[in-house]
Parts: sequence; C-alpha cells; structure tokens
Amino acid sequence: MGVFTQEINGVVITFFSTASAVGKTLISTNMASELARQGKKVCLVDFDLQFGDVSNYLQLLPQRTAYDLQQAMNLQGNAVRAEEFLTPYEYHNVVFYVLAAPAKLEEAYNIDADKAMDMVRQLQKVFDYVLVDTTSTFSKLNLALLDLSTIVSFLGIVDFIPTIKNMKIGSETLKKMNYDKNKIRLILNRSNAKTRISIEDVENLLGEPFYHILPNDFQAASRSIKDGVPLVLRSGGSELGEALRDLVARYTNRVYDDTVDEHVPESWLARIFG
Amino acid sequence: MDYRVLLMESDRLMLERLSQVINDTPNFSLAARFQNVSDALGQGAVFNPNLILLDIEQPDGMGLIDQFKRAYPTAAILCMGEKWQAENASQSVKAGAKGYIIKPFTGMELQETVETFSRLGGDAGAETLVFFSPKGKSGKTTLIANLAMSLARKTREPVGIIDADLQFGDMAVFFNLAPQTTIVEAVRDARFLSPASLRSYFMPVAPNVSVLCGTPTPNMMDKIAIDKLENLIAMSRSLFRYVLIDVPAGFNPTSIAAAEGSSTTFMVTMINGAYEIDHTKRALDIFRDWADVEERLKVIFTRVEPCDSRSKMELAQKLGYPVAEIIPNEYTIVSDAADKGKMATDIRPDSPLSRQVDRLADQIIGRRHRIRWAAV
Ligand SMILES: Nc1ncnc2c1ncn2[C@@H]1O[C@H](COP(=O)(O)OP(=O)(O)OP(=O)(O)O)[C@@H](O)[C@H]1O
Ligand SMILES: Nc1ncnc2c1ncn2[C@@H]1O[C@H](COP(=O)(O)OP(=O)(O)OP(=O)(O)O)[C@@H](O)[C@H]1O
Ligand SMILES: [Mg+2]
Ligand SMILES: [Mg+2]
Repeated sequence: MGVFTQEINGVVITFFSTASAVGKTLISTNMASELARQGKKVCLVDFDLQFGDVSNYLQLLPQRTAYDLQQAMNLQGNAVRAEEFLTPYEYHNVVFYVLAAPAKLEEAYNIDADKAMDMVRQLQKVFDYVLVDTTSTFSKLNLALLDLSTIVSFLGIVDFIPTIKNMKIGSETLKKMNYDKNKIRLILNRSNAKTRISIEDVENLLGEPFYHILPNDFQAASRSIKDGVPLVLRSGGSELGEALRDLVARYTNRVYDDTVDEHVPESWLARIFG
Repeated sequence: MDYRVLLMESDRLMLERLSQVINDTPNFSLAARFQNVSDALGQGAVFNPNLILLDIEQPDGMGLIDQFKRAYPTAAILCMGEKWQAENASQSVKAGAKGYIIKPFTGMELQETVETFSRLGGDAGAETLVFFSPKGKSGKTTLIANLAMSLARKTREPVGIIDADLQFGDMAVFFNLAPQTTIVEAVRDARFLSPASLRSYFMPVAPNVSVLCGTPTPNMMDKIAIDKLENLIAMSRSLFRYVLIDVPAGFNPTSIAAAEGSSTTFMVTMINGAYEIDHTKRALDIFRDWADVEERLKVIFTRVEPCDSRSKMELAQKLGYPVAEIIPNEYTIVSDAADKGKMATDIRPDSPLSRQVDRLADQIIGRRHRIRWAAV
C-alpha cells in the first residue's frame, strides 16, 4: 500500500468476423476459460449487444449489464468502477468475469460506441486480458474496437462461396487499415466440415496462411453450449477442446502445460470484489 | 397496342416538347392536347383517347384523377410530375392512375412506363416483402433467391429483389452476377430517375426476375442514406408485383426502415440447436408494437428437421407465435447451388426444399388474391 505502481493496461483480444455463426462466441468463451485456468485475470465482454450469446453459452443470469454500466458512466463519469457491473463465471476453481450484453433490445440499441470503448479501457486497467465478442459488421463500435485491440482474432469458416467472398472483403478491409501484421490473426474454424472448397484455395485467395485451424465438431460444440461449460474446462478432452487450448497456448507464448491449475491465485478476486 | 394520347399539360413549352416526344414514339400518337383542365375534361372525348397523360402538379392535382376517370372511363391515366415523389406516386396510383412518369421524358421512358403498368395489370404497386433475421446465417438470402423464382414462375408477373444487406450482400454471388450497377448507383441516381429508368439498374436473372445487387465493398454503405433507400424501395414498387428485400441481420436503421415500410416482414431464423428461438422471441417482442402484427409479421424457420407439420407446431408453441412456413435442412443442395451461381430449386425442383418454398409462394400469392377479392 502506498507504493506507487505504474498503471498497467491489459491485453485486449477482439473476436471479429465478416460472416455470422463462425464461432466467435464459442471460441471467445473457451479462450476466456483457458486463460483463467492458467491463472490470468480475464474479462469477457459481450458486444454482440442485441443478440449476444455469451451469457447463454455460459448459462449466466446477469444482474447488471453493459447498459447499467453505461448509465452509471453517464452519471459518474470515470469514477465508475466497471468491475462492479460484471458477472462471474465459475467452474470448479476457474473464474472469469463477463460484462453481459443488455437485457433489452432497446437498451442494446442505445449503447453508445464511445461509451462502450470507455468500458473496455476501464476493464483493461483491472484485467490481464479483456476479450471482446462482437457482431459481424464494420460498425462504428467494431472499428473502434479493432483499433484499440492488441490482437484481433479474425475468424472464418468455409461453408460456401458467399462466405469466402465476405472473408476476403473483410481481410482486405483490415489490410487497408494498416495494422501491424501480427496484430491480425486469421483463424479458420470448422475446417473439416462438409465442403468442396480446399483450405489452400482459400489461403491463396486471402493471400496469407491461417494462423490457426480449428476442427469441426458440431456435437462437442453443441454439447458444451447445452451444458454451459466451455470445452477447455472439460477433462475428457475433445479434439476441438485440444485445438482451442493450443490456440491459447500460442497466444500466450507458452507451451501447453497441464499443471497450471494449481497456480490459480485467488487474491485478485478479493482485490476486485472485496 | 397503339396508344392515342390525350396530353394535359399547363406549361406551354412543356406541352410542345412532350407532344413532339409522343409523336416520335412508335405506337404512340397524340390524339389531343390541352393546357386547360376544363377544356380537356369537356372536349377531349371526341378524339377518343385511350391514354391520358395528366400533369398533376397543379392545384388539387390528385382530385383531377377522379374527374378524368369519370370523363374517360376506358382510358388509362398516367400522371406526370417534375420530379419523383414517392408520396405523389403512390397517392396517384391509389386514386386510380396506372403510374407516374417524370417529365420531360424520352420516348423510351414512355414506352417502358406503359409496358410496366400493362404488365402489372389492374392494380399497380407491388407488395414489399422484407426478410429480417435476428442474427446472421439464417438462410434468408437462400430463401429470398429461391422464393423470387417460385413467385415469378407461378404468377408470371415481375418480381424484383433488392439486396439491402449493405455491407456483405451476397445476392450477386448467388446469381453469379458481375453487376455494372448496384444499389449504390441506384440510390445515387434515384432523384434523376423515374421508375421506368430505375428498371435498368436491376439485372435480369430469369424470366420475370431481376436483382438490384448490393454494395461491392462494406464502406459503400455510407453512401446509402436511409431516406434514399426508402425512396428507392417506393419507386421499385411500381416496377414489380413483388419486391423482396434482403436486409442486414438485427435491428439497424436499414432493417427497421425496410420492415416499417413493408407489406409483410418475414422473420427468418435457422434452427441450430442453440439459443435461436430465444433470439427470435426477443425480436418478435419488438414487432408486437405493430397493431396488425399477426397479419404483417410472418415467422419462418429454416433447416428444420424433420420438416413436417409436427415440427412446425412445436416451433410455434415454443415461440408463442404462429409459424408461417418451415424450410428443410438441405445444406448440400443449397450450398452447392450457391457455389455454382444457380438456384437450388431449379437444380432440384423435386426436392422437399422446392416444395416448401413453393408452399410459401402460394401463401404469399393467395393472400394477395384474398385482398383483391375482398376489395371487389
Ligand atoms: N469448431 C466447431 N465445430 C462445430 N461446430 C462449431 C464449431 N465452432 C462453432 N460451432 C457451432 O457453430 C455455431 C455458431 O457458433 P458461435 O455462436 O460461436 O458463432 P458466432 O460467430 O458467435 O455467431 P454469431 O455471429 O451468430 O454471434 C454454434 O452452434 C456452435 O456450436
Ligand atoms: N435450408 C437450409 N438447410 C441447410 N442449410 C442451409 C439452408 N439454407 C441456407 N443454408 C446454409 O446456411 C448458410 C447461410 O445461408 P444464407 O447465406 O442464405 O443465410 P443468410 O441469413 O443470408 O446469411 P448472412 O447472414 O451471411 O447474410 C449457407 O451456408 C447456406 O448454404
Ligand atoms: Mg456470437
Ligand atoms: Mg445473406
């Protein structure tokens, strides 16, 4: 106490795509879980404001949402403690926090992009990782998020040609924004799904290889959504769960290590909510 | 058909100019022309016109339509104005005119306008069918494309598709088009266009089906102001019997404006075994503000397995709202078709997919007949 410490802003990872239903929510909830499992302080922000699935996939019943936070920010400005508006997700001894999407559509429609960005900046001060789930458009909010992010996970699937066209348009638009090359990470989900289009063709079209490829496993994905437990938290590992863990390991530059569980520090919880 | 035109235009110079155009247009001849309404009403009949071009931009212009209808019960009335105003155009059609043309017009525009209303038959003005979905990947673009074909096949009337999914519209890919003109140009030029000239911005894709393609890149979206889009939709109504509109997922200015102006909005959701029914419920609650919601908002589920009446009933029960139609899970057929730029229902006219799309088309057509019948 009383010792001056430099303020630290955590890593922001945005999950973005230019087609819907490519796995943004599934992957972001799993990544939040895996990072939390490794002892990181993690907040997952649901900025699919109208029809967000984070609380659905994690079976949370949030008491407060991004809309309440915005209201508080309007009244109190930066004095607001964003962390008081979060909902914890707990599974065994893994914990991370969720800033839930508004309960009502009218509320969602009235979230201001600038305010939403302030929320992320606030959370960055408290968490090691702020993960943001989004919608599939270049909206004002998403563009601001892309700017602010440390890393953008740009997700795609190869179901049929229109989707690939949109992936191409998305990746070209991102290129035009001149972000550092390693900020944007192209991730292919559901790779071995029924389709006649080869991954190489898609990579050629996009002009770069995928950073990571996740396999198709609809059963495992669906089950985890039904149970409300992300795949990486399940012991009886699925191939998809493994691939998701590998992905996180690459993001954190660590070789996957199964013993990280023990190191979960509990003190930061007390700091935030105590 | 030969048109004997009665031209009613109060401006002397314009009267000259338009007379010239009419006489120079094949199959059109000027039977009589007037600068004064009372003369036109009292004297024109001796020339036996079958087409009346009526300047309605004058005091009580709308009221004139009825008077001319009574004076010339067998002639078609085409209203003229200096610029396109959706309001005027739709009012004049309601008042009994066949259409609306911007003056001065070319012979080509005159021909196209007359062709359009003769093709549309008695009651001009299309039904606009908007396809809304709470989240993306609902199967709505697939549905719109196939439904448009089915409506055109069954009615032999013109059907238009507008791709207003402004950032990532896929209609051009679905129909394998490399459009010269898209919604961007149509909106840009709309204030200079009359409905007939707007037609050339639509790409024909099949007999009686044409498509106004979406923006080529997402940033173009900024070029499409909502009021202009509304105007474009209104103008398209006089070109087609049905206008099917693809909009971006969720509630946004585009989808809201299109739905508000629609004859019918279809809420489309793909069954995926997750939370899609909850999302549909939430979206539905917004539409419940419509006084005539059950008439105007129709729910469709796609990728339903098994695609039978029982599933349909169960879905309606879960939703607490009637389900208008269900579309079967036919991933292979539809994705294959889209990859080839063909229509699934053309490749497999015998498939359950085609059957369900046809049933939906029948519902849409049937509803219209009921309305027409009721109005008689
Ligand atoms: N690797 C995978 N294998 C099989 N199914 C998957 C995979 N990843 C995601 N899915 C399934 O795909 C569907 C869409 O996933 P998800 O909701 O995460 O996508 P999203 O990008 O968040 O979609 P939206 O844009 O609608 O929010 C879900 O039903 C999920 O179970
Ligand atoms: N009836 C169906 N059965 C199974 N799969 C379908 C069906 N209709 C569409 N699909 C598939 O679902 C995906 C989305 O279809 P489509 O593009 O028509 O939906 P959309 O709602 O227009 O999506 P977007 O949000 O990208 O505009 C495609 O892969 C398509 O092949
Ligand atoms: Mg999602
Ligand atoms: Mg679409």
